[in-house]
Amino acid sequence: MMTNKSRSTLGWIGVYALWIVMTLITLIPIYWMFVISARSRVQLFSRPSFIISSFYQNNYIEPLTNPTFQRYLINSIVIATSNALLVATLAVLATYALSRWKLPGSDNIFFWTITNRMAPPAAFLLPLFLLYTRVFKLGDWTMFDTRIGLILLYCVFNLPFAVWLMKGIMDGIPIELDEAAFVDGASMWTVLTRVIVPLAAPGIAVTVILTWIFAWNEYLFAAQLTSVNARTITTGLAEFVTVTGTNWGEMAAVAMISMLPALVFLIFVQRYIVMGLTFGAVKE
Amino acid sequence: MRSNRTGWGLLSPTLLILIIIGLLPFLYVLVVGFFDWNVFSATGRPSWAGANNYRRLVFDSDFLFSLRRTFAFTGIAVGIEMVLGFLLASTLVQDFPGKAVFRTIHALPLLVAPIAVGATWRLLTIPGLGLVPFYLDRWFGFDYRTGSYATHAFVTTVFMDVWHWTPFVTLTMLAGLSSLPREPMEQALVDGANRAQVLRFLTIPMMMPVIVTTLFIRLMDALRIVDEVYLLTGGGPGLSTHYVGIYIWRAVLPRTDYGYGSAMSLLVLYLTIVLAWLLFIVLSRVGRQQS
Amino acid sequence: MSRRVVAILGILLVAGLLLSACAVPAAPAGEAPAAAEGESEAAAAPEEASWWTEAAAPYAGVTIRGVSESTPPSRYAQEVLAPMFTEQTGINVEFEVTSWDEMYNKAIKDMEANTGIYDFVYIEQDIIYTYLAQNFLADLTTMMADDSSLVAPDFDTSKFTSFIDNFKDPTTGDLFGVPMEAFIKVYLYRTDLFNDPDIQAAFKEQYGYDLAPATTHQQYWDIAEFFTKYGEENDMDLWGTTVQGHSGHASSTYEYFETIAPTFGVYNWGVNLDTWKACVDNGGEMNSDTAKEALSWWLGLLQYAPPEATSSTWDEVAASFAAGRAAQGFVYGENAAWIATDADRSSVVGNVGVAMPPLSEGVMADAESGAGYVGYYDGGAFGIPHSSKNKEAALLWLEFVGQESVQADWAAAGSRIVMNSTFDDPLIQEMNTKVDDYYAKMKEWGPLFRGAPPFPFHNTLRGAIDPFIWKAIAGEITPEEALDGACAAAEETMMQLGYGE
Repeated sequence: MMTNKSRSTLGWIGVYALWIVMTLITLIPIYWMFVISARSRVQLFSRPSFIISSFYQNNYIEPLTNPTFQRYLINSIVIATSNALLVATLAVLATYALSRWKLPGSDNIFFWTITNRMAPPAAFLLPLFLLYTRVFKLGDWTMFDTRIGLILLYCVFNLPFAVWLMKGIMDGIPIELDEAAFVDGASMWTVLTRVIVPLAAPGIAVTVILTWIFAWNEYLFAAQLTSVNARTITTGLAEFVTVTGTNWGEMAAVAMISMLPALVFLIFVQRYIVMGLTFGAVKE
Repeated sequence: MRSNRTGWGLLSPTLLILIIIGLLPFLYVLVVGFFDWNVFSATGRPSWAGANNYRRLVFDSDFLFSLRRTFAFTGIAVGIEMVLGFLLASTLVQDFPGKAVFRTIHALPLLVAPIAVGATWRLLTIPGLGLVPFYLDRWFGFDYRTGSYATHAFVTTVFMDVWHWTPFVTLTMLAGLSSLPREPMEQALVDGANRAQVLRFLTIPMMMPVIVTTLFIRLMDALRIVDEVYLLTGGGPGLSTHYVGIYIWRAVLPRTDYGYGSAMSLLVLYLTIVLAWLLFIVLSRVGRQQS
Repeated sequence: MSRRVVAILGILLVAGLLLSACAVPAAPAGEAPAAAEGESEAAAAPEEASWWTEAAAPYAGVTIRGVSESTPPSRYAQEVLAPMFTEQTGINVEFEVTSWDEMYNKAIKDMEANTGIYDFVYIEQDIIYTYLAQNFLADLTTMMADDSSLVAPDFDTSKFTSFIDNFKDPTTGDLFGVPMEAFIKVYLYRTDLFNDPDIQAAFKEQYGYDLAPATTHQQYWDIAEFFTKYGEENDMDLWGTTVQGHSGHASSTYEYFETIAPTFGVYNWGVNLDTWKACVDNGGEMNSDTAKEALSWWLGLLQYAPPEATSSTWDEVAASFAAGRAAQGFVYGENAAWIATDADRSSVVGNVGVAMPPLSEGVMADAESGAGYVGYYDGGAFGIPHSSKNKEAALLWLEFVGQESVQADWAAAGSRIVMNSTFDDPLIQEMNTKVDDYYAKMKEWGPLFRGAPPFPFHNTLRGAIDPFIWKAIAGEITPEEALDGACAAAEETMMQLGYGE
């Protein structure tokens, strides 16, 4: 790869030009979404322009003050965060087990279950609907339209990926460290929390953030398996499409709002992503 | 010294969730694919069809067309993403002022929900409402209509996917490149190799695992894309952007043809697995040869 | 901070989140913020209030759950009527409003799998026969006959418009749904443009007859051509007509089969309802010469439509017209009202005219005799799935929204009318003047319009025909090829489903 000394001025100009172009391309659709969110409905079909002449606040105020949408937002936050933490925890336990023990047949199972992530989703809607309404029930309570239902479902999509990612990391932590700790009298849990987790922290951070983003943005299954109580914000977006006109302005506003928590997360955890992916990927 | 039981114990919650919520639906779909089942048929009940659904699929010209378009879309979009991502990542390996800002902005599309991505691009490209048709017409006199011209719609979906997912490739490539040791490259340059040779014979082979992983994930996701394209074009004009994910959706949902839809899903899954496997073999062979 | 503390905090956080995830569900939707209309509720007379409370006594505390499309009438029901109902009966209403696709998916899955999730569902007029064929719905007539304590004094099926007939079983006449919204798809035109003397003169000069809302298809074409050129010459964003021609969405199929084809004399989508055949060779009409003429005419109008026409569903058509981009068009009735009156969403307020669609010869006679119809009568009802576990409570809800006393305000909020007396309500009379008599015309013309044909497989059939219409819009095949292909696909689908030999 090129080192600092070897890149010429021309090279630097090229790099900057490239990045400026990329930044523009990245920002235009997002900026446009913002412009739309600032327009009232009657202005939507007027001449498209970059400049926001007047800011129609209602598009933001309406959803933010609507208890239903507040509930959707909270649901999304709870589901995404819970799922991320649950997946990270289970992945650590699972990869620790896979890395430190020889468990026959475990590889095959992972392969079969990753099919959920690989297959086109539409056909799985019906069996999941049936499972959630008929099989997973206790008396009157069913798993349909519950937050825990979505959290567990997203585990199915995120766990194989998380395990894949973290296995390399686990393998990279020398077993000698475990043994040394055991010799010192530590229990397995102590080894996990004091030795393993700190060393695997970047990888765990990556898992958390990628899982979080996936759960936050998921639409198809959230729409099918929730009704009034556990509905998420992405599903709420679809509600704007009605027979009497799509309320693009409000829809864009909600889309912008839903970007914010994800953005906060990203900025916070960004440097770990780069570090963390290193461990997992290269050691394949 | 620690029994296998502890190991299985640690693994069990994961396995439990995966089997109960992951495997059961898969088995259901597998079984339903052998039945002829439409909710609104005269009987409304499933009836055994054996491999009939699969036979119908092979002769379904609309499905085959959809499959071809999906492969074209995937090949082009993912190809661009891989090359562009690698290029961008290679510039990010060193520090330069503004690097963190560029990187963060570049990652923004990953945060937008796919359904919102589709909606945004629809708003951007629909005539009368969007920027793109307006300026294309004004500056170049170009009649850009995703609703009428199949090529326009196809190209727009490729652009949208590249916009959305290149940051993912960039980040994974960056991770890979950052962790490569410097000495072999510098040594090679000192020995007289030019940059292209360094790239071809050293960097890429050493990056193989990362490249394969990223490629695999992107292929998987691009082949089953639904939300974004559905919002953008609905699958039109005609069937030109009716990628397989959408095609299956339409079979299962409005047409309530569960048997056919299930068979289709499994067939596509099978093709995806085969593709991934082939890819893996080819690339790891290339990787081994180079080193 | 010690690692142990961090670990414990972490576990607590996870546990907290998981517990909150399993927490008792949030308050039912019925408690959404009451719009101002909540205050102006047409309060039921005190005697009736106590009827509801008494009748609902055995079911107080029960929660019924329903799903509907997120349209203004449904939202009104969710935000205003549901809280009223809960207040008077103590029955909670969890009202889910979602997009058209999602609503169907979930309702159908629920009824098919017998899971009892929903206690009332929205039944669009075009899906009722499909549901009836599968016995998805509870028989309301039988329910009311079996238990007279459930029959509200203010609920009288004879007060509804003829639209209610769509929700009765054709053989027994039993009722399966209580109408909650109805509109006709009308021909809208811009009164400001049509009444402009200069424009009138220019038109007369070019075409030789007076400019007026079209009564024949040729006139409609002429007008479209004229205004498109007018828009070009005057550098306006104006075209001659709207076309609901989304090249990848069912809305285009609907516009052609439900609105355009009948005006040419092709009814019931050209499907022979006795033999379940569609091609001319087998006794159907889907690919008849008249049908081909109709499709060519409609597709030909695309050249006079704004560029977004091929990406337009019913939403965009209404929005285009409201933005002043079309001189005429076919628009669903529920949009007519806001296009004509709501300045927040429409830039053509006060300039909207409503007219009978242009018709071929003989179509009006067919419609008057009942052999045919002139256009689409859209709308829906609430019904009770056979799988519901709270049928009686749901029935009370249905009767509540079917009361005469709630109709007027509901009509004002959602421009829908399902009851004869609503037409005469002063509130509606007043609105009528602002929308070029849309309501009066709906009352008068209603019997000439019809809903979708009684297909027991509506969505499946439409799904098979869609690609042909889409390809024709995209210009990949000719209208003739499209209809030939469509009728063959239709017959194949019907046979696969077990209908027709």
